[in-house]
Amino acid sequence: MTADPFHLAWFTSFNSPAWRSAWGGETGTEWMTGEYFVDMARSLERAGFDFMMFEDSTMVSEALGGTSEMDLKHGLHSPKMDPLPLLPLLAAATKHMGFIATASTSFYPPFILARTMATLDHLTRGRIGWNVVTSSEDIAGKNYGMDSLPEHDERYDRADEFVDVVEQLWDSWEPGAIVMNQETGHYADHTKVHPINFEGKYHKVRGPLNMPAGPQGHPVLCQAGGSPRGREFSSAHANAIVTALPTVDKMKAYRADIRERAARQGRNPDDIKVMYLVQPIIGETEAEARAKFHQIYGMDDPMQIEQTLGVISAVTEIDFFQFPLDEEMPEGVTTNGHQSILDDFIQRNRGKTLRESLSERARLGPELVGTAESVADQMDSMMEEVGGDGFLIRAETGLSHNRRYIDEISSGLAPVLRRRGLIRSSYDHALFKDNLLAF
Amino acid sequence: MSADPFHLGWFYSKGFGPKAWKHPWAGSDVDRFTKPDVPVELARAMERSGFDYLMIEDSSNVPYTYQGSHDAYLKHSVDTPKLDPSILAPFLTAATKHLGIVVTCSTTEYHPFMLARMMNALDHVSDGRIGWNVVTGSNDGGAQNYGRDKQFPHDQRYDMADEFIDVANKLWKSWDEDALVLDLEEGVFADGSKVRPINHEGDFFRSRGPLSAPRSPQGSPVICQAGGSPRGRKWASEHAETIIASASSPQKMKEYRDDVRARAAAAGRDPDSIKMLFLVSPVVDEDRETAVMRAKRQGAEMSANADFQLAALSRSSGIDFSKFDMDEVLGELVSNGHQSSVAGYTGKTVRQLVESNPLTGDGDLFVGTADDVAGAMDETMQEVGGDGFLIVNSYFPRRYVTEICDGLVPELQKRGLTRKKYEFDTFRENLMAY
Repeated sequence: MTADPFHLAWFTSFNSPAWRSAWGGETGTEWMTGEYFVDMARSLERAGFDFMMFEDSTMVSEALGGTSEMDLKHGLHSPKMDPLPLLPLLAAATKHMGFIATASTSFYPPFILARTMATLDHLTRGRIGWNVVTSSEDIAGKNYGMDSLPEHDERYDRADEFVDVVEQLWDSWEPGAIVMNQETGHYADHTKVHPINFEGKYHKVRGPLNMPAGPQGHPVLCQAGGSPRGREFSSAHANAIVTALPTVDKMKAYRADIRERAARQGRNPDDIKVMYLVQPIIGETEAEARAKFHQIYGMDDPMQIEQTLGVISAVTEIDFFQFPLDEEMPEGVTTNGHQSILDDFIQRNRGKTLRESLSERARLGPELVGTAESVADQMDSMMEEVGGDGFLIRAETGLSHNRRYIDEISSGLAPVLRRRGLIRSSYDHALFKDNLLAF
Repeated sequence: MSADPFHLGWFYSKGFGPKAWKHPWAGSDVDRFTKPDVPVELARAMERSGFDYLMIEDSSNVPYTYQGSHDAYLKHSVDTPKLDPSILAPFLTAATKHLGIVVTCSTTEYHPFMLARMMNALDHVSDGRIGWNVVTGSNDGGAQNYGRDKQFPHDQRYDMADEFIDVANKLWKSWDEDALVLDLEEGVFADGSKVRPINHEGDFFRSRGPLSAPRSPQGSPVICQAGGSPRGRKWASEHAETIIASASSPQKMKEYRDDVRARAAAAGRDPDSIKMLFLVSPVVDEDRETAVMRAKRQGAEMSANADFQLAALSRSSGIDFSKFDMDEVLGELVSNGHQSSVAGYTGKTVRQLVESNPLTGDGDLFVGTADDVAGAMDETMQEVGGDGFLIVNSYFPRRYVTEICDGLVPELQKRGLTRKKYEFDTFRENLMAY
């Protein structure tokens, strides 16, 4: 017995890939031209991926010891370029795949975001998605004139309203508003274009949008809510949910919860695809794969330990370097950042030292190591157990995000999944959303 | 101490045809070998890492030398199918800005006028980035597709090639560089006094000329050749600007290079105007043990597919290797095909031939980390004196391209051994820059 077909996507940043890896080549500077990601998009489309998702943040982090040293040394959160202008390049190099860019509801005015996304949807002929984030780092807020970000749950209240405004703007042109009547000389029919006159608790927007929405109407919405409030939000709005869970049990429970929340809010749960972050490590033999896994996630290398501590410190805004590496984490640490990530980290690592906890933290998802055949087996049984909906591949900045890893996934793993009928072998629809929701 | 900077090329073995298909990392688009996808990606990666050129090998028949049947060739995809490389070339130049693209065409298949015209057009559309790998044909099956029972005798083929390139050169020069006037006031497009018929009448070819198109950016394509036999070396030393050289040790590389350079000097040419690139098949990985294991696995696969190797040897030599016992020590063989390769088979058993890399025979000299292999290339070049290497891996997957272009070459660049950027616009200028 095998799982139902599932989706494949790739989670990345628009930042320097594994520039110091054995296969980094010139990518340390080349990434800024977009070429690396163009090549990547071509490879992933050939392999049958649904989409590439670009996470984003807009800060030079100083979470570690109050300086940007670690962030810049390892290229963790910066430099990172704006993914929105990259997407048309990727779409132009491909024919079917979807592209999701992250934009924050705490920083964009809803009108600009609605207009940018609608423009991208037109330019890509309906292959765009928006990853909705509320942002969690105060230091990013300071770049936008705020001293600190609103509290966690309030950010989601604002985001609810933000998405409402944006969707109203996308809907502010009725279908058929562009009439192009050569006899009467009407390009657009003003009776089909409506101000939205939105006045909410946080936003005030007159409208209408000064252009019609793109081929998808509403681009694919993506979200990554882990906290209860975040899940409530994503189950209300998202078509794709990004989540990082270490075990099949947790993956299964998470998906059941999202689907239950979606149904309760009047949505069809099948309109939401829950995508689990994984970093498959593939070798020509099991031993080779195991050795590669150890090299990337073994936590032997001080640089790797430092990088991993840097990542978790920056996203939680807690200086993890203050904790002894070979002791268990203390109780009762709080953050105004990703509290759910921090709580989860402490809880799941009960009885383990910080060092021991880092390997799993670096990986984020379940362990997947072996030959292409054996990893395909593992993915198959995971999906069979969880029920759906797919995997988001992620590689390590500095360590494994390079062309060889991309090829191992797209020319090694994906063909095996395809032969077994576990992933798509063609794109049957023109629009990203239709392909994503096709199964 | 390290070697002087050297050149890098890629020998696109088995031509415009299937690469990795049943091999690891082949991907799910193996049926698209008739499309430019894989070579375009390769060309982009090569340009990213500063290669001089991509040389597309070719032959134009479905061979049937081994066991008198084409079955083994088709079963294993040995030198067939192959599409016309001159059609692929413009896709590669359009996807790149600096890389040279060398197309293989046979002097016993094309008429000189047709070849000269096609190379002229390729040189124009590529803005001066085309080369011609001159082959004379080797397998009788090829000749039979062009109306002859057998190939012409080996040395005569080279005599014909001498005349062929003479005709082609005259045609390429039949328009002066300033023949195009484009004088809008006088209404003169081209100046008739600067365009001349060549009226060639030789032993093998006749052509009136002039060429029907103006001088191209390079004037003529970069001439590439692979002569190993004495007659082949003579031809190469007189005409070639880059040579595909095959030698199994640094010492043999040096002997070959010294010989060709001496011949070139004797023929009145500057030996530095010939860049000899030696075929190598590096296996590069993150640690030496993994690379060595992979090289061993590849060798084991070769031995396990003796049929496949024997079919390839039979095609290039024109000798049916199915008639030998695997452990038979080979005596002197008579070949009208690749004579220098066949001369090297004497004294070896068929099994030994099957287990070695037929194109390079370089053992495990170039197996290891990027650092190891770059070091070995450095030392080899120090011993040989120049001029560089041609990567060859007949059934390479995309992953191999990354291993070479993003793993090995950056290491060579770091040591100052290969170029980091292109100085000139045309292929020839970059090739001759050092």
